[in-house]
Amino acid sequence: MAVIEAEHLSKRFGKKVLAVDDVSFAIQPGTITGFLGPNGAGKTTTLRMLVDLVHPTAGSVRVLGSRYRDLARPTTRVGALLDASGFHPGRSGRNALRVVAASAGLAYDRVEAALEMVELGGAAKRAVKGYSTGMKQRLALAAALLGDPEVLLLDEPANGLDPEGIRWLRTFLRACAAEGRTVLVSSHVLAEVEQTVDDVLIISRGKLLAHGPISELTRTAQPVVRVRSPQAEKLEALLTAKGAAVNRLGSALAIRGPGSAEVGELAHAGGVVLHELLTEQPGLEDLFLQIAGTRRES
Amino acid sequence: MIALFRAEFLKLSSTRTAFGLFIAAIVVSVLPAVLVMSLVPRDALSDGGATIAASGLTIVPILAVVFGILGMTNEYRHGTITYTYLTTPRRGIVMIVKLLCYGIVGTAVMAATALLVVLAIALIAALRDIALPWFTASSVSDLKTLRDAGMFLLASGMMTAFGVSLGALFRAQVPTVAGVVVWALAAEGIITVIKPRVGIYLPFAAFQQLTMGGSLRVGEGGGLPSLTRPEAFLVAIAYITVFSVAAVFTSMRRDVT
Repeated sequence: MAVIEAEHLSKRFGKKVLAVDDVSFAIQPGTITGFLGPNGAGKTTTLRMLVDLVHPTAGSVRVLGSRYRDLARPTTRVGALLDASGFHPGRSGRNALRVVAASAGLAYDRVEAALEMVELGGAAKRAVKGYSTGMKQRLALAAALLGDPEVLLLDEPANGLDPEGIRWLRTFLRACAAEGRTVLVSSHVLAEVEQTVDDVLIISRGKLLAHGPISELTRTAQPVVRVRSPQAEKLEALLTAKGAAVNRLGSALAIRGPGSAEVGELAHAGGVVLHELLTEQPGLEDLFLQIAGTRRES
Repeated sequence: MIALFRAEFLKLSSTRTAFGLFIAAIVVSVLPAVLVMSLVPRDALSDGGATIAASGLTIVPILAVVFGILGMTNEYRHGTITYTYLTTPRRGIVMIVKLLCYGIVGTAVMAATALLVVLAIALIAALRDIALPWFTASSVSDLKTLRDAGMFLLASGMMTAFGVSLGALFRAQVPTVAGVVVWALAAEGIITVIKPRVGIYLPFAAFQQLTMGGSLRVGEGGGLPSLTRPEAFLVAIAYITVFSVAAVFTSMRRDVT
């Protein structure tokens, strides 16, 4: 049975903004799913609809088989990091978590455990207004973990974390999956989650573009041909004329469409000198650009 | 439900809002009482002067409304409403707990403030050897005095709850507080002057009549109209109920983005 399900989910704000457009997906237990898309794609709105903070205009969502509001003691089943700034600035980190724990009917022991888990035990007495962005992010993660939930919904958890914090987050997410928890983690920085997630949901402009295991999606994706040339601009023009999708940064080109042989032949015919020519299996970022690009064209 | 009360009291004790209300209440009521009792000549004070000294208490219930507004709007201002609704997705329950909790705390703060005012007046009266009719044994044990004090506390608690419902309905802190202060201090007065029979049913007038119990009734038969205490109580309860139901209804439909 899917742990998180969305069926034909849509959300419209006012008359003009269609934030989420007919999105359907199902997330299996014990997986880490990356919810990927650029800023404003509809990730946060979708996550908030999962926990009843935002009401869908159409469609339905179920977490652990029922609506979030119908779950008994929901924070012990679903932990959500949705807003790292959602703490009263005058409260200490410990008291901020105690408020959440008290509302959820949890013992204060859980607060200390969660603080230690996110390595904020030493700063627990300090007022939240004195916390860095990364510390607030850890505090929000601690709040999500308070009820020791089986499902975690994390909205951009790496925001504000330093490289060490991001590495810690990766290890933490892996540990969560190893414990059998289901994690849905959103991010707009694709490289950040590439090493961590099993499955991906790719969303752009409110539409779900792809859903599946990351290995499968990247395997079926078109390879990228990378070229370095002192005449990159000329080669770009030649490739574009042939209908290839080209991204150029200085003397480097990333080409989708033709294979490396075609690119080499075209360069030779056009008298373009190449310093490098190789084929790469696309990463998550390339995959996203491909999918989003294809959708835009269609 | 008990867990939610515990959480609300923890919210209050872990920030300065309730303490700020208490300080503000002292500034507007105890301080004027001390100044009046210390500076006004003895003869003037003996004859109803203590009532003037305690008149700052009439502003305190407006602070109670502001306290209630802050209690709810702070949740939206600081984004803590996200955690509140995550732990308690049934938003109506959140509203009920807040109304009761803030009502209790508002009453307690007002009781402490009123006690300080009375103590300050009694202490200075004793030091200056002023005989105040308030503090005679028969007056203190008088049923009317106790009833007046009880009504003051009841009205304070109800006004705090009224503030909570206003805060939940309007959410934006500064405009709501500013609007309520302007309404309480100016708009109601103007309406009451123009239409006295309408004015007595306005919210702050109702709360005031509940507190003062007929003191607005200036001259039976020919004076200003006023409500009896039971009538004022019913009007005040009606305001709290209507605004709370509207607040619950809108909060259930609103998105927390």
